[in-house]
Amino acid sequence: MTELENRILAEAQRLLSENLADVVIAFKQADTPLRPQPAFFTDAEAVNDLVYNGLCQNNLANYLTRYPREKKIAMVVRGCESRSVNALVLENQHPRENLYLIGIPCEGIVDWRKIVEAVGEDVLSVQDQADIVVVRTPKGEFTLDRAALMHGSCLRCTQKNPLGTDVTIGKPVAEQDPHLLRERVKNFEALGIQTRYEYFRQESERCIRCYACREACPMCYCEECFVDHTGPRWTESGVTPAGMQGWHIIRAFHQTGRCTSCGACERACPMDIHMTYLTDKLNTDMYDKYQFVAGLDAKTQTPFAAFNLDDKNRFVAGGTSK
Amino acid sequence: MDTAKKIVLFQCQWCLYAPEDQDWVDHHLPENVHLTKVPCTGRLDPLFILNAVQGGADGVMISGCVPEKCHFKEGNLSARRQMDEFSDFLNYVGYDEDRICFTWLDLQDRGRIQKDVAEFSKKVEALGKSHSLNTRSVLPQGGAHD
Repeated sequence: MTELENRILAEAQRLLSENLADVVIAFKQADTPLRPQPAFFTDAEAVNDLVYNGLCQNNLANYLTRYPREKKIAMVVRGCESRSVNALVLENQHPRENLYLIGIPCEGIVDWRKIVEAVGEDVLSVQDQADIVVVRTPKGEFTLDRAALMHGSCLRCTQKNPLGTDVTIGKPVAEQDPHLLRERVKNFEALGIQTRYEYFRQESERCIRCYACREACPMCYCEECFVDHTGPRWTESGVTPAGMQGWHIIRAFHQTGRCTSCGACERACPMDIHMTYLTDKLNTDMYDKYQFVAGLDAKTQTPFAAFNLDDKNRFVAGGTSK
Repeated sequence: MDTAKKIVLFQCQWCLYAPEDQDWVDHHLPENVHLTKVPCTGRLDPLFILNAVQGGADGVMISGCVPEKCHFKEGNLSARRQMDEFSDFLNYVGYDEDRICFTWLDLQDRGRIQKDVAEFSKKVEALGKSHSLNTRSVLPQGGAHD
């Protein structure tokens, strides 16, 4: 166990034994060494198998909406997760006073796919160290460069340090240039409309409509999703081109002003579909048009919820303006 | 009329103040323009636009009231932000945003809808047939998806 894990564990045990939290949401080691799984600790004695490393790929804020509002939830949060929590608190999904956030400055999430690409699927154990990742396989031990294994969303991350936490464990890390997200969008826009559509068509074509992206996303908490709605049926529900494209367009669009670019959707996708480029576009637009960044605090309403008359100039100039 | 480009017009039912204009929209629209009336532009969901586009619309036109004149006070304000962003987003995905057009009509804009529809038809005609996102399978008689 690392020193960081020990400190998280001590904090979790303290919260549970002093009855400050009903449940502590963190990670534990699973049978799949590349992907530790979310864990829900309710007993101070049972916290021992808690882990925390760069392979913890879920966005834990996802589980916030699955508890009743009275439950006191303690949660391990990184930068993106703390923003998701803020966005959920803003949408009245859980009262902030019933939350206890254990913040951890994040060094970036290691993309398990990149490890598989490098060493193959047969992995016995993984050790995440400061600059390197040591992977043990039946074929031997591999030492990989951690920076090269980072997930795409983490490479473009703008908020590594958690916001508005109750306690922060670990040293703050340096933030990255916030324009990395914009750069990606600009580069994609420069491709030309035909190439853009072709790219989208090829990406969405692989979709098997398993909705893992929806389940992994903390902001997708609707009781009934538009794709599951049958009367009227909004989109084709089968694995058809229109259904797959419709799903990806509207799924992304429903995240406008709410997505925190954590990339959990992309990591959860079994077909390795690139979809964060869609939400990145919406995020940069929200900033350019309304100077809004999702989840920086739990008070500022999202642009689609807070509209005002001052907008008008952008629409009525010249009558049929776009 | 086979060669004409398909246009879907979403019209807020309050935005045409002159009865002659409303009558023209109801009964005398060009054949390639399909009318969908909505109670307010605020009722428009991005899915409506997407459905039109996926069904093969070469152009989508949205007519609503100017900001201060919304029948429901602020329905169109919420629509504006959403629709504006959605058309930007569709452009990013690969559907030309020139094919989406907004007209916001005021009290004194008598006779403008005819002009705007003609103008937009000409523009879409020049753009030609749309080849992106028009992927929906043909609907069975009656309209419902399986």
